[in-house]
Amino acid sequence: MDFVQTNIDGLLAGSAYALLALGFSLVFGIMRQINLAYGSSLLVGAALAVWLEPILGLGVVGLFLLTVVACVLAGLYVERLCFAPNRGKTGATVPMIASFAIWMQLDEVSSHLLPSRTHNFPGLEIPPMFFGDLYLRGDQIVQFVVAFTSIAALYYLIYKTRFGLLLRATAGNAETAFLLGAPTGRLRLMTFLLAGFLGGISTFLILSADGQVTPLFGLWSTFKGLIAMMIGGVGSLPGAVIGGLLLGLIEAHSSTQFGAEYRDITTFGILFLILIIRPGGIMGVSAYRTGRLAQERI
Amino acid sequence: MLRLSNLSKYFGGVRAVDALELNVKTGEIFGLIGPNGSGKSTTVNLVCGIFGPTSGSIELDGVDLKRQAPHQRIDAGVSRTFQNIRLFDDLTVWQNLWVAWRDAPGQEHSWFSNWFGRSLSRRHEIQKLLEFSGLGDKSNNLAGNLAFGEQRRLELARAMASKPKLILLDEPAAGMSSAEVTDLRQRILTMKEMGITVLLIEHVMELVMNVSDRIGVLNFGTLIAEGLPEEIQNNPLVQKAYFGSSENTSGGDTNAIDQ
Repeated sequence: MDFVQTNIDGLLAGSAYALLALGFSLVFGIMRQINLAYGSSLLVGAALAVWLEPILGLGVVGLFLLTVVACVLAGLYVERLCFAPNRGKTGATVPMIASFAIWMQLDEVSSHLLPSRTHNFPGLEIPPMFFGDLYLRGDQIVQFVVAFTSIAALYYLIYKTRFGLLLRATAGNAETAFLLGAPTGRLRLMTFLLAGFLGGISTFLILSADGQVTPLFGLWSTFKGLIAMMIGGVGSLPGAVIGGLLLGLIEAHSSTQFGAEYRDITTFGILFLILIIRPGGIMGVSAYRTGRLAQERI
Repeated sequence: MLRLSNLSKYFGGVRAVDALELNVKTGEIFGLIGPNGSGKSTTVNLVCGIFGPTSGSIELDGVDLKRQAPHQRIDAGVSRTFQNIRLFDDLTVWQNLWVAWRDAPGQEHSWFSNWFGRSLSRRHEIQKLLEFSGLGDKSNNLAGNLAFGEQRRLELARAMASKPKLILLDEPAAGMSSAEVTDLRQRILTMKEMGITVLLIEHVMELVMNVSDRIGVLNFGTLIAEGLPEEIQNNPLVQKAYFGSSENTSGGDTNAIDQ
């Protein structure tokens, strides 16, 4: 029974990691660029929302909407400042380094908005559920359902609409897509807004489950998102979902088997093995090719 | 229809296109030939807007294209194929056409339908393009898995998906067998019947001479001759540009061609 409980806990936590990894994978898959400021743009979004919510007095739903909007705006800021000016001029390195600088800047802004080490983040007050010996936290079930609804909506958008088709064409060959009349500049901006939107949802879900926001959330979400993306397959959207869920499972099992202090070392060990066996992550060939393409650009 | 006046493009000190004057008439197939490095591809790239000219003007039906971005030129009715096949290999045949799709003037769908629509209303027309390219039964194949000749035909169909008035074909017969060239010739003639003006850049003389209404010859970025295919064939200037000699100086009516 403990084993089943651990799997459930892992999958519930993993659904939030999957959303974070999707944010990285969207940007990498379509632009072949890593946005290191992604985590801190989510932190600044959360900080803005927590700071504004008592002023406006909107309650939990208002906080959710504020978080999503603030994360989208932070994504817009990062795109305009780091990625748009370097479009088509330099390789992937300059925007990545620029996004590192923005990371520092956004972390600084957040700590001014929320000066104390930890800050209360109102949670969803949903009673837990019991199935025999299994214990399910209400907010984590909401997290799982919302995460998978978002993933399904994203899947529809990317694989079933012309918007998604143009995004995929831009990912495949941006120059040709541009010459065929695809608005590649706008599509890249939309990618960032979409990543910010998904990030805003996952930020709210994670922080409301934790009940608090700390200045380390930016770093934490960058790490979780990047690791989940690397496990699943760099730049692959199905890979991001698989990687996120797997990361949740690995963490849950290593915590129960070896204790919480060995959680991260187990995760990095398994990531190390995966990268040796499949350098592009689990989601096979296409993701591996994406990785090679990115290397060529750098 | 397409009028290039005094068009120049310098790359550093290299004059890739030098004071070019060219006039393509509505509904004709205009062949543009010339030795390697004579500025043919640069001309195509200038017309579709990959880079801007150093000087001169590009007009399509009296509209100045010079300041327009590539996507605006597509809306204006310019479309092209590429010298090296540039399909989206990871997308299907059908999706490759749908990416380049533009509604015909007067039949535009809403902004929402263009971004999020399922294309059902355009399915019939895309099917017609598939039939034109002879890929009707391969609409769900990945473009990257098609044979070379099929990829060339898909590029032609994709160039037509944006409802162009003018198509620029950049060496469409490169690497094709003789039978495939005959097939391509038929398709180019079909385009003409549909009312599309064609600017054909080609090295394969078998195709240019048989399909073009008029031919222009570029050398060192300027037009050294222009005329009917048979006139061009006998033009000593052209022979000199291609073979570095002028054995046939006595023959040929250069006056008629040089004008």
